[in-house]
Amino acid sequence: MRDRTDDLVRLADLLVGFGANLQPGQIVGVNAYYDMADAARAVARAAYSRGARYVDVFWWDLLVKRARLELADADSLEFVPPWMGERLRWLSNEHAARVFLTGTDSTVFDGIDPSRMGRDLLPYLKEVPEIVNERTTNWTIGPCPNPRWAERVHPELPPDEALDKLWDEIVYVCRLDADDPVEAWRERMRAIVASAERLTERHFDAIHLRGPGTDLTVGLLASHRWLGADFTTVDGLTHYPNLPTEEIFTTPDPERVDGHVSATMPLEVYGSFMSGIRIEFEGGRATKVDAEEGGEALRSIVAKEGADRLGELALVDGEGRIGPLGTVFYETLLDENAASHIALGNAYTFPLEDEADRERANRSPVHVDFMIGSPEVDVDGLTRDGERVPVLRGGAWQI
Amino acid sequence: MADLTDAERFADLVVEVGANVQEGQEVDILADLGTEEVVRAIAGAAYRRGARFVDVWWWDALLKRERLLHARADTLDYVPPELGARLLRLGEERGCRIWIIGNPQPHALDGVDPERAGRDLLPRLKESSEVVLARTTNWCIASWPTEGWARQVYPSLEPDEALERLRQELAHVSRLDEPDPAEAWRARVAELRSAAGRLTERAFDSLRFRGPGTDLSVGLFRSSGWHAGTLERIDGLESIVNIPTEEVFTTPDPARVEGTVRATKPLELAGSLIDGIAIRFEGGRAVEIDADSNVDVLRAVAAKDEGAARLGEVALVDGSGRIGALETVFWNTLLDENAASHIALGGSYEFVVEDEAERARANQSEIHVDFMIGSPEVDVDGLTGDGDIIPVLRGGAWQI
Repeated sequence: MRDRTDDLVRLADLLVGFGANLQPGQIVGVNAYYDMADAARAVARAAYSRGARYVDVFWWDLLVKRARLELADADSLEFVPPWMGERLRWLSNEHAARVFLTGTDSTVFDGIDPSRMGRDLLPYLKEVPEIVNERTTNWTIGPCPNPRWAERVHPELPPDEALDKLWDEIVYVCRLDADDPVEAWRERMRAIVASAERLTERHFDAIHLRGPGTDLTVGLLASHRWLGADFTTVDGLTHYPNLPTEEIFTTPDPERVDGHVSATMPLEVYGSFMSGIRIEFEGGRATKVDAEEGGEALRSIVAKEGADRLGELALVDGEGRIGPLGTVFYETLLDENAASHIALGNAYTFPLEDEADRERANRSPVHVDFMIGSPEVDVDGLTRDGERVPVLRGGAWQI
Repeated sequence: MADLTDAERFADLVVEVGANVQEGQEVDILADLGTEEVVRAIAGAAYRRGARFVDVWWWDALLKRERLLHARADTLDYVPPELGARLLRLGEERGCRIWIIGNPQPHALDGVDPERAGRDLLPRLKESSEVVLARTTNWCIASWPTEGWARQVYPSLEPDEALERLRQELAHVSRLDEPDPAEAWRARVAELRSAAGRLTERAFDSLRFRGPGTDLSVGLFRSSGWHAGTLERIDGLESIVNIPTEEVFTTPDPARVEGTVRATKPLELAGSLIDGIAIRFEGGRAVEIDADSNVDVLRAVAAKDEGAARLGEVALVDGSGRIGALETVFWNTLLDENAASHIALGGSYEFVVEDEAERARANQSEIHVDFMIGSPEVDVDGLTGDGDIIPVLRGGAWQI
């Protein structure tokens, strides 16, 4: 195993300085899994060195959660300690920066009753989408290599080599191999933003995706915009919510989704593993939800309020660094940036200009992304006049 | 000796006998990063008892080091409000608190400016003394061995041997080497309460400690009783708040402490190690504070507020306890304070004072720092209101 101290420092600097765009005097909320102590400390150092007022780390241990899922009374599983939501309200009120470290191995939940899994979504909190929509915090999500995750991604390798390989991949997809990673990201972000602007200008009425197992039309709201890469807070701070990021996304019309779709990658959601997902939509609603693996857990999530309708549509072209690796990271942050995707559940309202459209955006306590794009999936835009315009072919932009 | 490799056995002891977790309770655990083996077992044991939620606040001393090294000085007093609010709410809900000390990074604060270190007392919260005084939670503090801690305690041993030795000593003092640890604790607590009862009956006016470097008189309230072993929640639910526990304690008169005292063991305070403490008291106040190392940290803490330089606790430990007999310095207050008689600067357990007027005079402070002043060489006498001098401890043995 190579010494990764320098990589860790560069990753922490990228997340804190560029991704979250931390400002002097800000409080920083950090989410870290139990195995990420080194990374959390590196993030804290990067933050304090930039003048952070306080770094508040919320640690999460999947094995303590497993004890709950195994042993707690079923009717207590939906309980969430109020302080967790209050902590997020506090971060929102303080206009804090937030850094999430991701990368876990959900196989620790193997053997747990899926219907119990679906009732305990922690560490996810319903306040997360609320404060994202408030745009009060500048935040970022970044990957954090650790032994458990590495063994999950590269089970064929000995543990040390698996971790080395995962680190190499993270260095590559996070562009930490560039002389100046921040400049490399600025350049990539410019390209992503330009694609988003071109799509917005087309004012498509719907997007049609067609490929193996997929024939899906997703209606768009009249005032929709496509966004990518950067967010801006109410205070005017630019931040990059996902590092790496390769997607452009918008908020669809939750009542105009029809057809069927097959996920092109397996998915891990709230700790459950799902593969071979196939969903049929009618009038915006998911009317049939199947999966080769994890179907019951997926259905228990879809049964939650608003989780049977779409809250997001995102397109990813073949220029990104994640898709070409061909690695399944079992981590939405990376996997969703490998391919075009849709999300069941809660919508971001800010891609919609018009207040009436915002009212129509989907609402839900959950938000589940899954990948539906690949070079074999053609993407077309449908205009209000019924014209069909190629958008992606073989992973390349056509507009 | 048995060892502590069986985390589940220790977890059962902490959950069932120590904290006494009740069905439907929320259980908050404060635990050092590095004690996951026992914390996960405690979570399991608590859920088996019907806990509603087990909420772990992991503490990382190296994260605190980053703050103390790199944060702006004027931010170091900041404490996130949600930390205190969370504790107070747990009290309102009659929740349970468990604190697992593993001390995995004993040198985390080495090289940190002591003045800065004294300003950040996390994970201590002023609300934790509030919920203790309000007696709204059942709780237990216990220790779990880690490699870093073992190296500190036995620097001359190889790391593996040190960890094994610490495991064995902790198993012994936690009475896990007894066939029925729960029963062993019930019996020991009964002994301690009997000693406390005898002390309460004597109704001494003050205690006098005399030994090498120590000649200290500690005034007592007329109405303050001696307590040991268990504390009762306001609704009567009992918990053994420290595992292990060997002390009997009371709340002294903060205005009547005179003389000099030398600590008989080093003190670990908010991550700093303080050795060779010597303090002179006048009219109840610590007027001179010296130490061989990190004296600035202790001085900064004793200057924290009005009550921080006065006594909030006096505790006696006799020689039949298991900790003192090991002659190990654990660099851990939970263990070391149960090795020897001790006093504490700062906040007091007001509820042991019966009379309201006296209770109003009990010391108040947001800090509470125990340090050891007893040893077999330190004689303890009780002085009655009539001026009689009654031997209390000689060579570590009860005389009453």
